[in-house]
Order: sequence, then C-alpha cells, then structure tokens
Amino acid sequence: MTKQLLVKDPYNIIITGVGGQGNVLASRVFSGMLVRTGYRVTIGETFGMSQRGGSVMSHIRVSAAKVWSPQIPKGRADLIVAIEPVEALRVLADYGNPAVKVLVNMRPIYPVGVITGEAEYPAPEKIREAVRSLSALSFFLDATDEAVKLGNPILGNIVMIGAVAGLGVLPVDQGVFETVIREGMPASRVEANLRAFAIGMAVVTK
Amino acid sequence: MKGNQRSKELAEKESTPGGQKELEDAVLKTGLCTGCGACVNLCPYQAVYRDRIVTLHHCDLTRGRCYDFCPRTPADLNTLQEACDVGDDLTPEIGAVGGFFITRAADEKIRRRAQHGGTVSTLIALALREGLIDAAVLAGEGEGLLPQAVTVSDPEIAVGQGKSRFVVSPTVAEFNRVNRTDCRRIGVVATPCQALALAKMRTQTVKDTQSGIEKLQLVVGLFCGWALSWRNLTALLEKKMDIAAITGMDIPPSRYHTLEVYTKKGTVRVSLDEVNSCVRESCRYCGDMTAEFSDLSVGSARLPEGWDTARFWNQVVVRTKRGSDLLELARSKGVLEFREVPAGNLDKLKAASVNKKRAAASHPSGPRSVVDKMGQAG
Amino acid sequence: MSIDKQQREGAEVLLMGNEAIARGALEAGVQVAAGYPGTPSSEIIETLSRFAEPGKLYVEWSANEKVAMEVAAAASFSGLRSMCVMKQNGVNVASDFLLHLTGSGTRGGMLLVTCDDPGALSSVNEGESRHFARLMEIPLLEPADFQEAKEMMPWAFTLSEEIRNIVMVRSVTRMSHASGNVVLGALPQPGGKGEFLCDGKISDPERGPVISAPVVEKHRLQQEKIRKAAAIFETSPFNAYTGPERPELLIITSSACRLYSDEAVSLLGAEGRVGILKLGTTWPIPPAYVKKHLTTTEKVLIVEEVLPFLEEQVKILAAEQAREIGIKTFYGKNDGTLPMTGELNPDLVAAAIGRILGIAPATFPAVYNEKLRSLAGVVPQREQTFCPGCPHRATYWSIREALQRDGRNGFVCGDIGCYAMAVLFQAAGFHTAKTLHAMGSGIGLASGFGKLGSFGMDQPVLAVCGDSTFYHAAIPALINAVHQNANVIFIVLDNSGTAMTGFQSHPGLAVNAMGEAVPMVDIAAICGSMGVKVVSGDPFALRQTRETLNRLMEERGGVKVLILKQSCALSPEKKGKKQYLVRVDEHLCRGDACGCNRLCTRIFRCPGLLWDREKGKARIDEVICAGCGVCAGICPAEAIRCEEAQVP
Ligand SMILES: Cc1cc2nc3c(=O)[nH]c(=O)nc-3n(C[C@H](O)[C@H](O)[C@H](O)COP(=O)(O)OP(=O)(O)OC[C@H]3O[C@@H](n4cnc5c(N)ncnc54)[C@H](O)[C@@H]3O)c2cc1C
Ligand code: SF4
Ligand code: SF4
Ligand code: SF4
Ligand code: SF4
Repeated sequence: MTKQLLVKDPYNIIITGVGGQGNVLASRVFSGMLVRTGYRVTIGETFGMSQRGGSVMSHIRVSAAKVWSPQIPKGRADLIVAIEPVEALRVLADYGNPAVKVLVNMRPIYPVGVITGEAEYPAPEKIREAVRSLSALSFFLDATDEAVKLGNPILGNIVMIGAVAGLGVLPVDQGVFETVIREGMPASRVEANLRAFAIGMAVVTK
Repeated sequence: MKGNQRSKELAEKESTPGGQKELEDAVLKTGLCTGCGACVNLCPYQAVYRDRIVTLHHCDLTRGRCYDFCPRTPADLNTLQEACDVGDDLTPEIGAVGGFFITRAADEKIRRRAQHGGTVSTLIALALREGLIDAAVLAGEGEGLLPQAVTVSDPEIAVGQGKSRFVVSPTVAEFNRVNRTDCRRIGVVATPCQALALAKMRTQTVKDTQSGIEKLQLVVGLFCGWALSWRNLTALLEKKMDIAAITGMDIPPSRYHTLEVYTKKGTVRVSLDEVNSCVRESCRYCGDMTAEFSDLSVGSARLPEGWDTARFWNQVVVRTKRGSDLLELARSKGVLEFREVPAGNLDKLKAASVNKKRAAASHPSGPRSVVDKMGQAG
Repeated sequence: MSIDKQQREGAEVLLMGNEAIARGALEAGVQVAAGYPGTPSSEIIETLSRFAEPGKLYVEWSANEKVAMEVAAAASFSGLRSMCVMKQNGVNVASDFLLHLTGSGTRGGMLLVTCDDPGALSSVNEGESRHFARLMEIPLLEPADFQEAKEMMPWAFTLSEEIRNIVMVRSVTRMSHASGNVVLGALPQPGGKGEFLCDGKISDPERGPVISAPVVEKHRLQQEKIRKAAAIFETSPFNAYTGPERPELLIITSSACRLYSDEAVSLLGAEGRVGILKLGTTWPIPPAYVKKHLTTTEKVLIVEEVLPFLEEQVKILAAEQAREIGIKTFYGKNDGTLPMTGELNPDLVAAAIGRILGIAPATFPAVYNEKLRSLAGVVPQREQTFCPGCPHRATYWSIREALQRDGRNGFVCGDIGCYAMAVLFQAAGFHTAKTLHAMGSGIGLASGFGKLGSFGMDQPVLAVCGDSTFYHAAIPALINAVHQNANVIFIVLDNSGTAMTGFQSHPGLAVNAMGEAVPMVDIAAICGSMGVKVVSGDPFALRQTRETLNRLMEERGGVKVLILKQSCALSPEKKGKKQYLVRVDEHLCRGDACGCNRLCTRIFRCPGLLWDREKGKARIDEVICAGCGVCAGICPAEAIRCEEAQVP
C-alpha cells in the first residue's frame, strides 16, 4: 500500500448514469481500489426509486486524511464519469467548474419523454461540444460498444473505470483493479472484466 | 365516383376541423351523443360501454375522423345529399322522396319475427342472397335491454335479427370494425343518426386514412322518433316487470300515448309520460325522423283498418336509385307484398317529421349541426 | 466488498453505512434481528441474514415493524442481544408496542435501529423518528460516519443492558446508503443460550414477568433510567469538539449534518473562526458537556435534519443556564437560517455560515456561468415509470380502461410499493390512483369511501395493495371493510416479493430471510375466509382483467377482492428471460396518424417501445424490452407482433 499525496485533497469524482447501467458497482469497485491503496473514501449514492430508469449518481470523495461529506458541494467535481451522455451534462450543470475533467460513454439511454416523442435528445455532436466547452479535459468513449464486443453491454462501466485509471489523476492501476475484482466476483467473470478495464485504459492513454 | 370527389373537396372547405377534444366538448359532454358508434373502432381512444360512448385515453390530434364522422358535428347538408346520391325529388319535410309505398314481407315466418311488416328483414335477406351485399350490419338482441351490433352474411340469420331495440345500437362502430375485414360489400340497417354518420363518412375530410366507406353498398334507414337510455329504461322497467322476460316493445300511434312492452306473460303498457324521462338527451335535438340519408327508409304504417292491422305493415320512402332498384327487385321476386297507400299518408308523415324538426330546432341548446339545418328546412 | 468476505480483524474495508451498522451488531454479538424492509434501512437485515448461519443468529423479515420489535423484544426478555430495524415510518407502526416496552424494560441488550429519509428520497413522508426517543423517554444515538456507525453498536448494546431499556440508534439515507472506510473489529464466539426467566415477583427485574404495570412506578423507573443514560452520555466517546478554543460561531450538529458542517467550514476557509460540536448522543443531550461548550461563544448554529430537535434541547438548556453562560444568539431552523424541510447539504450549511459570519461564497468566472446557463432546456428530464415488462403497468391499464367505461368517476386508493408510482407520477398509472398514505391505508381509506353511498357517492372505489403490504397492514382494514359491508373492489397486486426494496421474503413466500423453507400464508385463502368474493386473474390478460373489473363495479354492495398474480419483471425467475420476441410491423403500424396516434409510446409508455421520429413508426428496443408481450394487446392495428421466444 503506497499512499501518495493526491493532486487535490479531497479529490471529487462523480460517476453518473441511468439506473441499471452498473453505476453502483462501478463506484464500489473504483472506491475499493482506492481503499486498497490506502485512501479514505466516502461514497454518496442515490438509491431506491431513482433506480427505476432514473438518473443515478455516485459521489466519491478521495482523501489521504479524512472522511468527507457524501455529497460533493455544488461546482466542486474534479472528475465526472458519465456512463450515459446527457447525464454528463446534467451533472456538469450542477457540479461543473472550469477545471473539471469529463469522461463520457457515448451510448445514449433515452428518457421516457424522448421515447414517447415529447422531449428531444441532444445530438451527439452537441453533447460533445457542450462537454468540451464546460471542462478542462474531456474524453468520449464508446464503452458500451466495446463491452458488447466483449459479450456483455453492462461491462461498459468497467471500461469507464479503466479509462479513469488511464487518466493518471489518481494512483490506481490494473493490479489493484485485479485484486478487487478477484475478491468481489466469481472467477468466471474476472477475465472479461480485466479486458474491459484494459480497453478503457488504452483509450485515454494512447 | 366523380360526385364524391367534388363533395369531398367541398366538405373539406366547409367543415371546421376537430379531434377528440372538440368531440368531447361539443358532443360527449353536452349530451348530444347519439351513441351511433361512428367514433368507435377507428382508433383505440373511444369505446362503447352499454349505450354510452367513453373516451379511454387522451388523444391530442386536432383533426380526426371521430369528430369528422360524428353526426352531431357541423357538416354541409348539400354536400351530404350529393355524397349519398339522393334523388332530386327533395322535400323540405322528409328529404328525397323517390317513391312512397306500403309493404310487408310475403313470408309470414319473417313477419312473425319482425317488428312490423318485416320489410327491413326481407330487403336485407334479399340483398345478401342476391349478392348485392356480402355482409349486413344489424342490431340483434343483446344482454338485458341492450342491443348487440352484429354482422351477418347468412340471409337466414339476418331475418333472425328482426325487431326494434329502443336502446341505441353502436351499429356504426360495428361497421367500422367490419369494414377492415374481408367483406367487400356491406349493407347497414341504420337509425337516422347512424345513417347521417355513414353519410359523413362518405365525405371524409381527414386525409391519409382509410375508413373503408367505399364498401358501404346499402343503407336501409329506420324511421325514428327517439331512442331510450339504457340505465333509465332499465330502472323504469325493473320496477314493473322481470326484464329477462321481455320479448319486444313498440310504440303505437301517438294517440295511444304508450310504450307497449311484450313479455312472456303478456303486454305491459307504460305511459309515455313515464318513458319520456328515459329518452336519450341527444334525441331531443334530432330533427331527422325518416333517415333522410339512406337508400330507402322504413317505418310503421298507418292504415284505415287501424293499428291492429297497420302494425303488420311498413311504410317505405325510397331515396336513391339503389333503394329503388332493391325495392323493385323485391317486388319482382315476390318477397314483398305491396298495397295501396291510403290518401293523406305522406302528408301525415311529413307533418310528424316537421313536428320533430320543430321540437329539435326549438330545443334550448340545440347543436350547430346539419341536424339543425334540417330542422330549419321544415 | 461485503463484510462476509472480509471478516479479518483489523482489516480496513469499504462498507456502506448499513453494512457498518450490521457489522457493529455482529461484533457486539447480536443474536436475534428482525425487521421490515424499507428504504433506506433494508441492507442491515439483509447483511445480517447472510451472516445468520456462520454467526448462529436468528434473522427474520417480519410481517411488519411492530411484530419485528416484538420478536426482538422476546429475545431480549430471554437474555439475548437483539435488534429491530426499520425505516422512519416503521417506528410509527411499532410505536404502540414501544410505548409499553419502554415501561416494562428489557433484559438482554436491545436496540431499535431506524433509518430516516430526510428529503424523502425514497419515501412518501419526511417523518422524524428522533421525536419518538423523546416521546418514549429512551436514549437516542446518531452515528456521524462509517467507523462510528460500527463502533456505536456495541456501545449501544452495553448501554441498553446498563439501563435495562431499549436504546434507539438513528441513521439517515446519506449515512445508510453512503459508504466509507471501516476498520473491522473482532467477532465474538457464535451462539448463546436463551431462557425467559419469569417465575419471580412482578417487581423483580431479573426473574419477574415483563409488563409495564404498575404503570406509574414503572414510569418513574424508566425516568431514572433515562437520567442514568444522560450521565453516561457526559463522557460518551461519540461526542466531540473540533475547532478553536473560543469560536466566533459554535455549530452543534449530529449525523450526516456533521459531515456537511465540516465541509462547509472548509469551503469557506473558516476553520479558525468556527467550532463544531458533534453529538452522537442526541437524546437526552448531556447537559454539562453541552453547557461547557456553550460558554465558549456567543453565537450558536444548530445544524440538523429535519425538525429542530437538537435546537429545542439546546435552547432549553441555555435558558436554564442563562445566568451562568450568558445570553446567546441562536441560528438554526426556527429563525429560518436553515430550511425547516428537506435534506441539508454542504452548500446550504456553507451559505448559512456565510450569512452569519459575512463570508461571500467563491464564484466562477462569468463566462463559465454563462455557458452553464446555456445547458438549461437541453438536458431532457428522466421521468420515472414502471419497468419494461412490469405487471403494474398492465394492471393500471386495465383499471383505467374499466374506470373510463364505467363512467362514474371511479378512482384507486394507492398504497406503498412500486405501484405507488401510479400516484406519484400520474402518467405511469394512467391517472387512476388518487390517494397515497401509509402502508395499508389504501384499503383503509377505501373502506371509508365505500360507506359514503348514503351521501350520494356513486363513484366506484378501488384499492390496490401489494402482496407484502397485504400482510403488513392491509388485513385489519380489509376486515373492517368486509364487516362494514363497504362497497369496495380490493385489488391485490401479487408480484411474489417485496420488489421495491429488493425481493425480501414475506409471509406469502415459502422461504424466509435466512433461506430456510417455511410455511407460506395464502392471500386468497385469507380473503376467502372473510366470506367475500375472491376472483383471481393474470394482469397480462388485459381484456379479461378489464371485463372482470367492470363486472365487479356493477355488482352492488360489499367487498370484492381481485388478486392479480404475475411476478415482477426484475424477479430472479424473470430477469433477463424473455417470453416473447416482440417487433413492430412497420407496414401495419399507423404511427401518429388518426387511427392510432402513437398509443403505445404516447400513452402506454413502456420503455421497451421507441418512437422513431424519422420513420413516423413505433419500434421495439430489443435491449430494453422484457418480452412480456402486453403491448401487442393494446395496438389497434395488430402491428406489434409476438413470437414465442426459444427456450435455450
Ligand atoms: C329506436 C327506434 C325508434 C323507432 N321509432 C319509430 C317511430 O317513431 N316511428 C316509426 O314509424 N318507426 C319507428 N321505428 C322503426 C320501427 O320500429 C321498425 O324498425 C320499422 O318499422 C321496420 O319494421 P320491420 O318489421 O321492417 O323491421 P324488422 O324486419 O324487424 O327489422 C328491423 C331491423 O332493424 C334493426 N334494428 C333494430 N333495432 C335497431 C336499432 N336500435 N338501431 C339500428 N338498427 C336496429 C334490426 O337488426 C333489424 O334488422 C323505430 C325503430 C327504432 C330502432
Ligand atoms: S379518431 Fe383520430 S383524432 Fe379521434 S381520437 Fe381517434 S386517433 Fe384521435
Ligand atoms: S354521436 Fe356517434 S360519433 Fe358522435 S360522439 Fe356519439 S357515438 Fe360518437
Ligand atoms: S400502437 Fe400499434 S399502430 Fe399505434 S404506434 Fe404503436 S405499434 Fe403503431
Ligand atoms: S413486450 Fe411490449 S410491453 Fe412488454 S416489455 Fe416489451 S415493449 Fe414493453
């Protein structure tokens, strides 16, 4: 366990998406990696009714020193990981700031209003443009597509975690990921998870 | 049909468009709904329950067939007459009169199962047998006092649907359903409001949708003074008899001032004063007594021998060439018997019709519709 | 990631607040735990049930919270350590028993763990269970982080045994459902012996019968106990002060609000000016300890959720001690410094401190704010609705169609469960459900509505209730409706599990919380035994359900029960398995033309259906569609085609 000082303490991450996308698992795995590495982590999550097709958000606070509030103050996210594109914008609107970094999985999940033709879903280019203009650094991934190639769309969340590790803003790597995954998952699923992680990592480091 | 093409264009210009909301505001909520069923089975939003039309879900179209076809929304009288190909022999009182007859079924078995002379049943059976139509939409016996709109193609079954049901039948809803099936030529027995709805379908103004109206080959109209509300009628008769034992009903000429209810145990007479409270609200605004938009219309006869003889005959008003051809066919095949029309019968009919038109026009909140205009015509 | 995997003493692991509470209970040697599921509390019993076998515990999901508390109390009376777990409104349900229990006292350590839901993130109330501690005169503890959530449990058990009464531990959603580092402690040897000693005199607390009489004497004893607790609280390890010796502003806080306060002070950079007094023992507050801190400052801000509970205690204390500690200025809920309703967060607390101390919050450059504003209206809302393949959508569809046909302005009395969404989001229930209150209140209200016929009320009255809710609180109301001959149609939505909170077992299932085979209690048989008409059906059979409903509405007088059985789309036996492969035949689809006007996507709104704007046709999203085939039954054009899915 090598505990380095963080680029910022606390380091504030928001993982967002839509209920059923594996948001909670992603935040737990990633936080597990950080706890392994020796940090104090607080995760704040939305549960319950919002799981049914609603927006889901996990606030992750990483610190070398202390426990922070499970709610990140407005405008104070350091990194936003969106497993769904418009969720990136929704979170930016509340937690964005000129220094924020954003990772977006570009596979949309349409809200009921869009499905029913009442609301419009912004075009991908419009989303990219908005994210770029509101962040210091942004990456757009096709994590779900990659995951589908691996045989399971839900692995999109792990591709995203790989990308976060690849960013290098936090001292976590494939090794810790593997340890945490091996502990928390049946052996049969480990391989696919490791590949998903590697794919995500490659996207941001290449 | 060239005439139809022109009338469609005309109608499009004349009619004010509307959808479900307008239909609800102008017809359903105001008590003007006849229960004809023209707005039902076009889409999933309207349905018939007992004798009421209900909207199941909200539809936000601003121009729809429900509103367009409804006999209680505005339409142009001339356009409709043109669309129905009615003859030039228009009278202000009862519409086109291409002929006026007194008839009855030659077959006594048909007469026994019919309301009056069995003319309607005979004509429908004939049209089916001769292939003029391959399906007939009729109002058969349903549960309790409710009619059940049915489609039949067997002439034998058709004559089994005889007798009048005084609660409104969703006949046009059944037409809307059946015209999407394999049937190619459909005949309908229709009360005046139902006939009017069918006429409006011929002048459909909502583009891009198929109503199947071109399959409509025959409309046999029924004379109609009014229809009764199921809930009220049931409540009234429940107190007087066993509803399950009722076999039929009729309204003898007005001087009797009664509704006769035939039951297995005999006839019960109910004063029209009592029945009046059961009359459908919409009928009080209706100015058509003789189904002016049909190929031919049939009602009870008036004969010098009195009601006991007259009740087994019909009066027939022919309106279109199609109607006239059918009647002549029946004569030549010998399935209808004809007798001389007593002098003054046509005038009496006109007078009765004018009375209905007057009552409708003077009704406090009468509709701005074709019915209204027909009322003024008298 | 779960405590079962990481039992090693001294290991530092990531635990959810609820898991930390469960772990604390295990480390304290809890032997019996009972609860009723309810967000945000459910994971506590779930975690304990996973540990039931190795830890030799008895864990159950009880029929309701009152029974859960009674079950736990029985263990305590038998000398075992026990706890009952519920969400805030569950305490209301249990409170009748609690009132008597606090009088009779307990033996083995007994805890009431409640998880409140400030802001009603997953509740239909913002109930404050803390007030029960004061009302019932029992001690109240509130953990303020994850480690503490674990540590507090053994301490609470000890306290309970010391004062021989139940102790309440209260968490909130942002504690229970948040996660953080926890260093694990040792687990005790499993097992223990239970015996109810009851052959002693009524006054014998060790061996006598356990009752709340003689009432006044027992009440006096109870107050003695609470005074003893207050004395213990004076030195509790869960009360702590951080900040300057003489702060300009003293914050008094507890629970998650302590973390918000910390964050707020650091946001404002006000560490040198503001002190934070965090209380873990919040009823009764330790008077000497709090008094000591009050003397250090003039200005006091109380930060808590939701009602001014600490605030009132502190003010009373300050009034009593005013001569010694001087006059203070109080900020909090009463004066509007903080909102009186809803949950708090670091921003609200920072704004409050900023206003008191005159510190302006940091802002972004104007250009950035401008860009943020341009997002408004671009991001589509995510409306909540029933899941694809959910039986409730089908049920409410039939109810809607039946009510509209009936035409007498009938309505549904809603109840608690997923199906409450029909009331909360009217479009999801097709505007049929019109009331929503406590568990079982649907049929209770219906019982009342159903008696208003003599006042001219002719509206059909329907009540819905899930299977779990049926056992919880619907039965007495149903009995009432039957006995009073209320004109009601009672619809049991039997989806074979407590779906909303994650499929906990209930009396209708043949397996209990610990996975053991148990007898199941049949709903139809219960209703039948009341002598009322019981009809069963499948909600997916739309037409049949609708016709049944219309028939029942026509029948006059009395209760009619309709049991609609179809398991939840997320249930283990259904999840991921499609019964049908469904598609839309584009040539038949009438789209938005008159003749359909998008019935499936505009009104029915199953998320499995998409509206393809370009083509002007409906489409099935194969990924989301659960393959239930219900939508095929509503399409007027027979454009939605179902094909039996191949069983692999
Ligand atoms: C509601 C109502 C009111 C009437 N009022 C008058 C009146 O005031 N004066 C008058 O002269 N005649 C009236 N009639 C017509 C009359 O009752 C006879 O239907 C007509 O004389 C034909 O007799 P028939 O023996 O030829 O009929 P039948 O051979 O018995 O055939 C009658 C046909 O009408 C159909 N039918 C029955 N009830 C309905 C209904 N509710 N809607 C649509 N189709 C139906 C049957 O299916 C059958 O095919 C009324 C009819 C109805 C239904
Ligand atoms: S007929 Fe057309 S406009 Fe009228 S309710 Fe149906 S779809 Fe809507
Ligand atoms: S009159 Fe006919 S078309 Fe008009 S609303 Fe009534 S049933 Fe529908
Ligand atoms: S309900 Fe049927 S016809 Fe209407 S839009 Fe959906 S698939 Fe098309
Ligand atoms: S079959 Fe239809 S109703 Fe069922 S989940 Fe799929 S889209 Fe939804």
